[in-house]
Amino acid sequence: MSTTTTATTTKLWGGGKSPFDVEYGKLMMWYFLMSDALTFGAFLISYGTIRFSTNGWPDPNKVFKSYPFAAEGVNAPLVFVSIMTFILIISSVTMVLAVQAGKEMKKKAVAINLILTIIGGIAFLSCQAWEWNHLHSEGAWWGMNPFLNADGSASSTNFTNYFFTITGFHGFHVLSGVVINIVMLIMTLTDQFEKRGHYLMIEKAGLYWHFVDLVWVFVFTCFYLI
Amino acid sequence: MSHTATHEDHSAEVRKEVTKVTIILSVLTVIELALGFYMMGIEAAGTRLLIKGTIVILMLAKAFYIVAYFMHLKHEVKNLIMTVCVPLCIFFWFITAFLIDGNSFRNLRNTYDPHFKAQSTIKVEKKEVEHKEAKEEKVEKKEGLQLDAPRTAD
Amino acid sequence: MSNEAVLHTHSGAHDDHEDHSHEHHEQSFISKYVFSQDHKMIAKQFLITGMVWAVLGGLMSVLFRLQLGYPDANFPWLETILGKWAKGGHITPEAYYALVTTHGTVLVFFVLTAGLSGTFANFLIPLQIGARDMASPFMNMLSYWFFFAASIVMLSSIFVETGPFSGGWTAYPPLSALGDASPGSKSGMDLWIVSMALFVVSSLLGGLNYIATILNMRTKGMSMTRLPLTIWALFFTAVLGVLSFPVLLSGFILLIFDRNFGTSFYLSDIFINGVGALPNEGGSAILFQHLFWFLGHPEVYIILLPAMGMVSEILSVNSRKPIFGYMAMIGSLFAIAILAFLVWAHHMFVTGLNPLLGSVFVLLTLLIAVPSAIKVFNWLTTLWRGNIRFTPGMLFAIGFVSLFISGGLTGIWLGNSALDIHLHDTYFVVAHFHIVMGVASMFGMFAGIYHWFPKMYGRFMNNTLAYIHFWVTIAGAYLIFWPMHYQGLAGMPRRYYDFSIWESFKQFQDLNRFISLVAMIVFAVQFCFLFNFFYSIFKGRKVLTQNPWDANTLEWTAPINPGHGNWPGEIPEVYRWAYDYGKDGVDFIPQTTPVGADESVEH
Repeated sequence: MSTTTTATTTKLWGGGKSPFDVEYGKLMMWYFLMSDALTFGAFLISYGTIRFSTNGWPDPNKVFKSYPFAAEGVNAPLVFVSIMTFILIISSVTMVLAVQAGKEMKKKAVAINLILTIIGGIAFLSCQAWEWNHLHSEGAWWGMNPFLNADGSASSTNFTNYFFTITGFHGFHVLSGVVINIVMLIMTLTDQFEKRGHYLMIEKAGLYWHFVDLVWVFVFTCFYLI
Repeated sequence: MSHTATHEDHSAEVRKEVTKVTIILSVLTVIELALGFYMMGIEAAGTRLLIKGTIVILMLAKAFYIVAYFMHLKHEVKNLIMTVCVPLCIFFWFITAFLIDGNSFRNLRNTYDPHFKAQSTIKVEKKEVEHKEAKEEKVEKKEGLQLDAPRTAD
Repeated sequence: MSNEAVLHTHSGAHDDHEDHSHEHHEQSFISKYVFSQDHKMIAKQFLITGMVWAVLGGLMSVLFRLQLGYPDANFPWLETILGKWAKGGHITPEAYYALVTTHGTVLVFFVLTAGLSGTFANFLIPLQIGARDMASPFMNMLSYWFFFAASIVMLSSIFVETGPFSGGWTAYPPLSALGDASPGSKSGMDLWIVSMALFVVSSLLGGLNYIATILNMRTKGMSMTRLPLTIWALFFTAVLGVLSFPVLLSGFILLIFDRNFGTSFYLSDIFINGVGALPNEGGSAILFQHLFWFLGHPEVYIILLPAMGMVSEILSVNSRKPIFGYMAMIGSLFAIAILAFLVWAHHMFVTGLNPLLGSVFVLLTLLIAVPSAIKVFNWLTTLWRGNIRFTPGMLFAIGFVSLFISGGLTGIWLGNSALDIHLHDTYFVVAHFHIVMGVASMFGMFAGIYHWFPKMYGRFMNNTLAYIHFWVTIAGAYLIFWPMHYQGLAGMPRRYYDFSIWESFKQFQDLNRFISLVAMIVFAVQFCFLFNFFYSIFKGRKVLTQNPWDANTLEWTAPINPGHGNWPGEIPEVYRWAYDYGKDGVDFIPQTTPVGADESVEH
């Protein structure tokens, strides 16, 4: 009888079950994402620190101002990157739908939404590849910065250093997210989740994919807007 | 798992929520972009800072919607929400301390390193430089540095 | 999701209880001892790898102490083992720095992080919370093998032509960022960084597993406030690791770019002899220090907390008294874990840190004294009027408390920025962190090994050898590090190759020789322990009862040699906290005993 009183007071934490009502894999994914958030956080904070300790900084609007198939010397800041941002948001939405379809055990809907998500991811990566290539053709790379500070003085290479490192690291995450999603798609199509009776793996892949989207929100703001 | 409810109305509810969040995220992004465009024409440092602050707040709002709804955190058990959110509070001090020290480092150098200060006031002549010229500028700058460099090695 | 369900998804296929293994197919040597997914075997793998590294790291300290103690003497045998690094039997400056660096890296990361929390988190978490295994045995195995890979890479860095990295375990740029800066900054540093990156992955895989296991897989009735303090400590250790190692990883990635791709994250205004001024500019070397110490400070608690947890448990068991202030112990662990993240820049007071910011860091640093003092007083009051059994584990636990007090008090000195400006980078710092973090945690580790050896191998270690080991080590630890405080107060800087050329430090020549001598004796005595350990695995006195220490925790309800899955039948259910010693006149009441009718429930 004493155990029953304890069981009611500390029901969640009493042991013998998960206090959060989630399986360990999802818990681990959450904590992994927290840890990854600190990786990205450290990158972005380093970027901020260097920017705070430097006298001038290039104006992003004068750097990121072109888009594919544009005329030479076009001045269209923020246009291309907003397309990239929307691609990632939409792919996140399709991922939510895939996860939801998984919960409802609708195999076909899962597959379709996963394919859309993968297309979104590849589209984002292609955009990024174009942008990198374009900047590279302008002479920007790790250790090379052709752009001037906003006030017209010479800029240190750290603008491009951080841009390529952080967007590269984010791109690497997108790439691994796409690979994970392709694996999920194959597992869906080969009925592996149907056999297991649940689509919990998709949920974890979804968490990762949304995290990639989340990071882009920060990268986008830090590099293109402010 | 508690979320395996397969009722049609539940499903419709989720879809409605997803649509709502998608619209919110899009609107926030559009506002951010609009602020970005608006900021281009503004020179006053104070106003720029204000706009940047607004953009950061919008960024955090977007992050909230992604984490809460797309990543489903809002519908998890409260304890899970706490274990994810509370440790991330270290970011406050992480960001504050790093940026304060970065800023202080710049002030130190501006005060005690005349070369550092002077370097940042030299305007590179042309506004719209071809990248080749910019590279030449860099080379020149490096040579200038070389002359001064032994001073820092002392 | 219940523990049983989790287990069946993982290990149902190759369940192997030693008691009735004839019912199951035999595991091959490879899957049982090498690529094992059993947490107990992985723990032993971590422990033995850690011991190998401890011997290597200790040997390195003996070698550079030889240089410090006898700067003028020649030891021809050194040339035999070190070759060109000890031309004419005299360690070269490059070799000296390489030894110091590798000693620090190896001891901090490989021995006291992987060897300590890797061993005991793996071994104790499932056994003490009542789980069949870790949440993900496969990731657990990967965690060990990433650590193993890191070990191999680090080991190979010792043998490269230009020598291992020699810029200090903190790897500050520019020494770590520029290959031209020193011989050790060349391929030795590349290997160092690769090794550390692998290590971060290993610690992340392990840490996620520990957290998920402790939260999700406690047996029925094992609420968080019934957990033994070891588990709480290991839990906070894992949290610290998961949140701080990624920052180090980011710092290393930027460092790799600086080394190989012409960036200047950490480089500014560099002029190298013979090369000239470098084009890299605009970065800040201080940034690396910030990123490094954002990990580095939590890291010292990653090292210390498991020792604290094990000591709490061992002190309580061997005093036959409940731990004093159980909730205060958890609270102070929690406070230490939080403060660990807020105080990193106290390692950087002399870098030109903003003084205002520095004063905040001083305040936060000194706050750590509060939870530390709570813990110390709770340990002492646990001992107070206890019916103490001086087992080897208990002796080492008491030794830990002693060392933690003496080393912790000097931390209050160093935490003051005004004092730190004088004491920074002197032997005072060396003495402080060796006592409080190095030797104290080693004592925690020894305590844990002596205490849980019967559970690990089903045999006892030899007590006589253990007593010799303890008394020589504790006396030696104080004799080595206590005098260093005086040297440090006199301004003797750390990391110097030869003090005999300084008029002001010549007076310490005899003292240095004394320290070196004691260091060698202490190192030699560790072989007592090693012999004892390996001999006892095979020939030690057999454990005949399930619960040789009369302890309450769950691991002692498992069979003497627990098989895969830990408990042959049902997982035991828990009815009380882990510290019912001497309650109502009963010597001890295991956690599995239901609460009696006339007994008051406290936990």
